[in-house]
Amino acid sequence: MIAVIDYGASNLQSVCNGLEKLGQPFEVVSSPEKLVDFRKVILPGVGAAGQAMERLRQTGFSRILPDLKVPCLGICLGLQLFAENSEEDEADCLSIVPGTVKRFSRELKTPQIGWNRVEFVKKNRLTEGIPTGSYFYFVNSYYLPTNDAYTTGTTLYGVSFSSMVQKDNFYAVQFHTEKSGEIGLQLLSNFCEKC
Amino acid sequence: MLIIPAVDIIDGECVRLTQGDYASKKVYDTNPVRVAETFASEGAPLIHVVDLDGARSGIPENLELILSMAAVVHAPLEVGGGIRDQETVEKYLNAGVKRIVLGTKAIQDRTFLQECLKRFGPERIVLGLDAKEGKVATDGWVNTSNSSYLDFAKEMKDLGIQEVIFTDIVRDGTLTKPNFEAIEKLVGFGFHVVASGGISETESLEKLKNLGAYGAILGKAIYEKKITLSEALKTGSFASNLTKRIIPCLDVKDGRVVKGVKFLNLRDAGDPVELGKRYSDENADELVFLDITASYENRETIFDLVRKVAKNVFIPFTVGGGIKSVDEIRRLLHHGADKVSLNTSAVQNPPLISEGARAFGSQCIVVAIDVKRSGNSYKVFVKGGREETSLEAVSWAKKVEALGAGEILLTSMDRDGTKEGFDLKILRQISDSVNIPVIASGGAGCLEDLRRALVEGKADAVLAASLFHNQEISIQEAKQYLAHKGIPIRL
Repeated sequence: MIAVIDYGASNLQSVCNGLEKLGQPFEVVSSPEKLVDFRKVILPGVGAAGQAMERLRQTGFSRILPDLKVPCLGICLGLQLFAENSEEDEADCLSIVPGTVKRFSRELKTPQIGWNRVEFVKKNRLTEGIPTGSYFYFVNSYYLPTNDAYTTGTTLYGVSFSSMVQKDNFYAVQFHTEKSGEIGLQLLSNFCEKC
Repeated sequence: MLIIPAVDIIDGECVRLTQGDYASKKVYDTNPVRVAETFASEGAPLIHVVDLDGARSGIPENLELILSMAAVVHAPLEVGGGIRDQETVEKYLNAGVKRIVLGTKAIQDRTFLQECLKRFGPERIVLGLDAKEGKVATDGWVNTSNSSYLDFAKEMKDLGIQEVIFTDIVRDGTLTKPNFEAIEKLVGFGFHVVASGGISETESLEKLKNLGAYGAILGKAIYEKKITLSEALKTGSFASNLTKRIIPCLDVKDGRVVKGVKFLNLRDAGDPVELGKRYSDENADELVFLDITASYENRETIFDLVRKVAKNVFIPFTVGGGIKSVDEIRRLLHHGADKVSLNTSAVQNPPLISEGARAFGSQCIVVAIDVKRSGNSYKVFVKGGREETSLEAVSWAKKVEALGAGEILLTSMDRDGTKEGFDLKILRQISDSVNIPVIASGGAGCLEDLRRALVEGKADAVLAASLFHNQEISIQEAKQYLAHKGIPIRL
């Protein structure tokens, strides 16, 4: 059973629709102490980093999440929340991976909205069977810079940034994999089946 | 960095000079308007137009020609040459010219320059700084002054000049290399610096971009085919692999997809759940669902329908029609929408845009703007096109961006369902005025219309209904056509 974290700051329905389509049993979880019962955890997220971190603190998820030993998948803002901190709202984040989340240059249209390529720079169970350079759907104004140790996928939007990271049992994708068509569903399925 | 092709005019013809020498004139085309139109169609963000007769004589000699150019060319124009009084500046600006380049006159008359900056704004007034061997050149480069261009630039900065077009006359029209050193210095002064003169290869553009130049004017290099405009545009742009998007739209009435012409005469076009699934499976980039009845009584049915459509749609899904509150937005998201589109309620209650953006993020809030041409401008309409507002389209677009909208869905009511092509004029104006993505809607009749909206209209996405519902064109055909034309597309 997969836990989809509900901390009141994200749109869960699309992730749930994706898991349902894949036939993966899941439950929406809103209290952190329940997480021990699950073999996998998904942290979705849209909106602003400051508000999301505040909700994670209020609900207590921020204390539990970094210590989880089961595979966790951060999606979109979820990836940024894994970083140390963010320029957005100058928020302190979960510090699961190193780095500061930055804003895209003002010369670029922001948010970045649409389909962009992801180059897989490291072998990763999430991307098994998916060709490097595949398109995924992005919506973001902020990005995590690349890091040699943890970046597993990069994307070009003015800068080359970390569109996928992994550290131990923590996986994260900047794109909305649940909204990236068949390839996105395959990645979600890889997380459920192979990680 | 802006790539700005130049159209220089002598005797009503499109010419190039070498090092500003009038005797070196070479005619490239007898019709400068046609040249400018071609540049616009290739995606030029701005066109640099110079009245060379005017630059020499001190009075605008090709004014009528340039005014007619401003009326028909889709790209913004900046105009210089022989502009020595406020009336002329005003004439050009009123005709739709975006920026005025002042050179000689500014050098001789600081009061005039200050008055122009004050009256028209520093974003409309650009200083043409022409240098020859370190000195400022004037009068179509026939004369050289005694002041050093750097001292002069500093003085101009203090007067309030923000943007400078720097031309090194010795290099102009020589297809050598620009004066990088001078440009770097001017960038260091804090100007927006547009480099002009001597740019003949992509390496130079690359270098200018890295020096922090704001733009680069290309003249002879394009006319002599040393570099194509599209190559230059590619080099000038920030590297990105983001694609343009193709978005089918479901207009839903009483549970069925319908399609009309100019918002009227609705015909049945199918079942929304089936069509939604089909488009998701066919690789559409997004799906938009607009409840065009948008009546309050059937809200529950709409929520239910949205949920059913969303279950089968694994691409981003936007829902619009009659949304009036943050609570309704929340409910739509819970039913599987990824974004919502606000239209009438955004006009009637603009704070709803910012409240929605705060609660769910800007990316979640699309503002739909329905416009109709009215003389030279465009008016915003609401209530499914039934009610005219006092809002002018471009200023409303800027306002919704400031309020926190993440995208604009622009529909031309004049073109809706007519298949006559998108209204490129308003599309381009709005794309140039905001820094959020713009989705073009209304009028797609053929594949080429889609391309023109993306290139000439500078839209980030194109939305179409009739074209796809009737299966005249499949999503895949549209994508292959655009990819073949060099537009970044996810196949």
